[in-house]
Amino acid sequence: MEKRESLWEAYLRRGFSRRNFLKGCVALTSLMGFSTDMFSKVVEAAETKPLPVVIWIHGHECTGCDESFIRSGAPLASDVVLSSIALEYDHLLSAACGAPFEAHLDETIAKYNGQYILAVEGAIATKDSGVYCMSGGHTFTHLLEKAAKGAAAIIAYGSCSAYGGIQAAKPNPTGSAGIERFVGGKPVVKVPGCPPIPEVMTGVVMHVALFGTIPPCDSDGRPKQFYGNRIHDTCYRRPFFDAGMFAENFDDAGAKAGWCLYKLGCRGPETYNSCGNLRWWQGMSYPIQSGAPCIGCSNSNFWDEDPFTDRLPKYGKLGDVDKIGAALGVLTAAGVAGHAVASIVQRNQRENLIDEDHHE
Amino acid sequence: MAIKSVKEVKRKEFYLFSPFLRIFHWIMASQIVVLFVTGLLITKPMNVGATEPVFTNTSMDLVRDIHFMAAFILCASLILRIYGFIINKGDRLFPRFWEGHFYEETVDVALHYMLLRGHHASFLRNPLARGSYAMLYVLLAIEIFTGFAMYLMVNPSSTFGKLFGWVNTLVGSEMMSHYIHHYVAWFIILFAIGHFYMVVRAEFMEGESEISSMFSGKKILAHNPKDANELD
Ligand code: HEM
Ligand code: HEM
Ligand code: SF4
Ligand code: SF4
Repeated sequence: MEKRESLWEAYLRRGFSRRNFLKGCVALTSLMGFSTDMFSKVVEAAETKPLPVVIWIHGHECTGCDESFIRSGAPLASDVVLSSIALEYDHLLSAACGAPFEAHLDETIAKYNGQYILAVEGAIATKDSGVYCMSGGHTFTHLLEKAAKGAAAIIAYGSCSAYGGIQAAKPNPTGSAGIERFVGGKPVVKVPGCPPIPEVMTGVVMHVALFGTIPPCDSDGRPKQFYGNRIHDTCYRRPFFDAGMFAENFDDAGAKAGWCLYKLGCRGPETYNSCGNLRWWQGMSYPIQSGAPCIGCSNSNFWDEDPFTDRLPKYGKLGDVDKIGAALGVLTAAGVAGHAVASIVQRNQRENLIDEDHHE
Repeated sequence: MAIKSVKEVKRKEFYLFSPFLRIFHWIMASQIVVLFVTGLLITKPMNVGATEPVFTNTSMDLVRDIHFMAAFILCASLILRIYGFIINKGDRLFPRFWEGHFYEETVDVALHYMLLRGHHASFLRNPLARGSYAMLYVLLAIEIFTGFAMYLMVNPSSTFGKLFGWVNTLVGSEMMSHYIHHYVAWFIILFAIGHFYMVVRAEFMEGESEISSMFSGKKILAHNPKDANELD
C-alpha cells in the first residue's frame, strides 16, 4: 500500500512553517475540547498519524450540512481540513462524476478496507425498497451498506442521517429514517443539527482522524463535547428567563431589548447543541442572538414538534391543552354537580318507597 | 314526621389506613396543587417586564424552584406510602384484577354511579375507587419520571442524569417529555375533581365516615363490607 501523509507532512509539502503547524494544532486541541495538557499528544498524532481516507456519501437530504462544513472558519477548516483528510469520494465536492467516479468509490473501499472513515449525510428512504433515494443507479441503502462494511468509523452528519430529518416529518411518505439501523451494528457518531455547526463537524472528523478513536459520546451517540449541554443552560439570555423578562411578540419592546424568547416557542430548554457556547461563524452569532427562537434543529423529532413559535401545540379551534383542560375541568365540575343532584333525587325516591312500605 | 335526632344504629369499626398513608395523602394533595399551579406558570410565565428590581415574586426562577421543591417533597412522601404498604394490610387496597368477582363488582358499582341502580354492595373500598387510585399512581409515576428526565438533563452524563435520561429517548425527545408532563398534569387535576366529589358524595349519601377515614384511619360502617376479609 502506498504511504499516506501525516498532517505535518502535508504542511511541509505545502510550504507552511512549523509555527503555522503548531498554531493549527492549538486550534485543533481546543476545537476537539481537550485541555491544553493534551496539546503534545495532538502534535504527536499530527506528526505521525497518516491522514485518514474519508468517504463522504449523501442520501435523502438537502446537502446543507456540506454547505455548513465548507464554511468552517477555524484555521483548519475549509482550507486545511480538506487537504488534511484524504477525501476520496464526496458526491457534492467532487469535480469528477459518472461511471469513473463510481468505480473510484469501489476501488477506495477495497484498497482501504477497514481503515477509512465513512461520513454520511442524509437519511435512508426505507419505504418501497428504498427507491425514493437513488445514487449511482442503486438505492442509497445499498450504497450505505456497501460503504459501511469496511469503515473504521462512521460519522452521521446532520439530523437527517442521525434521526431522519425534515423528510421524516409526518406523514413521512418515503419512510425516512436515521442510518443507524443500516450500518450492520457499527457504532455511529451522531453529529445532529440542521445543519450542524461547521466547527463541530470539523472537530469530530479531526478527532477520529488524529486519534483513530471516536470521541467520548453520550448514550445517544453524540459527542459530549458539543452536545453535552442544552442551549438553555449556555444561553446568554438565560438571566432574562430566570428573571421572568420575556419577548411576547417578535416586534415588541422585549424582543428589541433582547429578552428571553421562551414565550415565542424557544426550544433551547430541550435542545443539545453548541450554539450557546461555540456559536456560528467564528462565534459571531447564533439564532437566538439574532432574535429567532431556537427550533431545536439538532433534536430527534423537532420537525413534528410544531408550532415553533409556541410552547404548546394547538388543536384548531379547540386551542391548546390548557384551554381544553380548563374546559374539561369546568365540564367535569358541572357533571359532578348534576350527578350530585340526581343522586339525591334518587335517594329520596328510594326512601319514599321505603316510607310508603312502612305505612301500609 | 318528627325528625329523629337520636337513633341507635349498630356499626362496626374497621381500621384501614395507617398514619403513614394518611400523612402521605395530605402531603400529596397539597403538593399536587402547588405543582399544578407552578407547572402551568412555567409553561406560560407571567411577564415581569422591565420593572426593577428584576427579581420579583413572579420571577421564573422562583416559580421553578417552588415547583422542584414541591416535587421533591412529593417524592420523599412516597416513602411513607411504601412503608405503610409494608406494615399495614389496610394500605394495600389496590384492585384485584386477578379475582373474577372484581369485574362483576365493578359493573355493579358503575351501574349505581350511572344512576341505573339504587345502590351497590357495601365495600371498605369499592373496586371502581381502587381502580381510579391505581390509575392516579400511574399518572404520578409518569410525572415523576418525565419530571426528573427534564430536571436532571442540566448534566446528562451525571449519574442521576443517566438514571433518568432514557425516559427522553423512550418517548422520542425531550420536548415530548415536556408535553407528556403537561398533559398528564391535566389528567391528574381531572382525577382530583372527580375524587373530591366522590368522597364527599360517599360521606353524604352513605354517612359512613368516608372523609374522616383519611384523618382517623377508620371507617365506621353500618353494613358488612364485602371486602372485609382483606384486612385479615
Ligand atoms: C404530579 C406532579 C406534577 C405536576 C402536576 C407537574 C406539573 C408540571 C407542569 C404543568 C409543567 C409545565 C410543563 C411544560 O409545558 O414545560 C411542569 C414542568 C416541569 N416539571 Fe413538573 N409536575 C409534577 C411533578 C414533577 C416532578 C416530580 C418533577 C421532578 C423534578 C417535575 C419537574 C418539572 C420540570 C423539570 C419541569 C420543566 C420546567 C421547565 O421547563 O423549566 N415535575 N410540571
Ligand atoms: C381536599 C381534597 C381531598 C379529600 C377530601 C380527599 C379525601 C380522600 C379520602 C377520604 C380517601 C379515602 C377514600 C377511600 O377510602 O376510598 C382518599 C384517598 C385517596 N386520595 Fe384523596 N382527597 C383529596 C384530595 C386528593 C388529591 C388532590 C389527590 C391526588 C391527586 C388525592 C389522591 C388520593 C389517593 C391516591 C387516594 C388513595 C390512597 C391509597 O389508598 O393509596 N386525593 N382521599
Ligand atoms: S432564549 Fe431560549 S435558550 Fe435562551 S434563555 Fe430563553 S428559552 Fe432559554
Ligand atoms: S439555535 Fe437551535 S435551531 Fe438554531 S441552529 Fe442552534 S440548535 Fe439549531
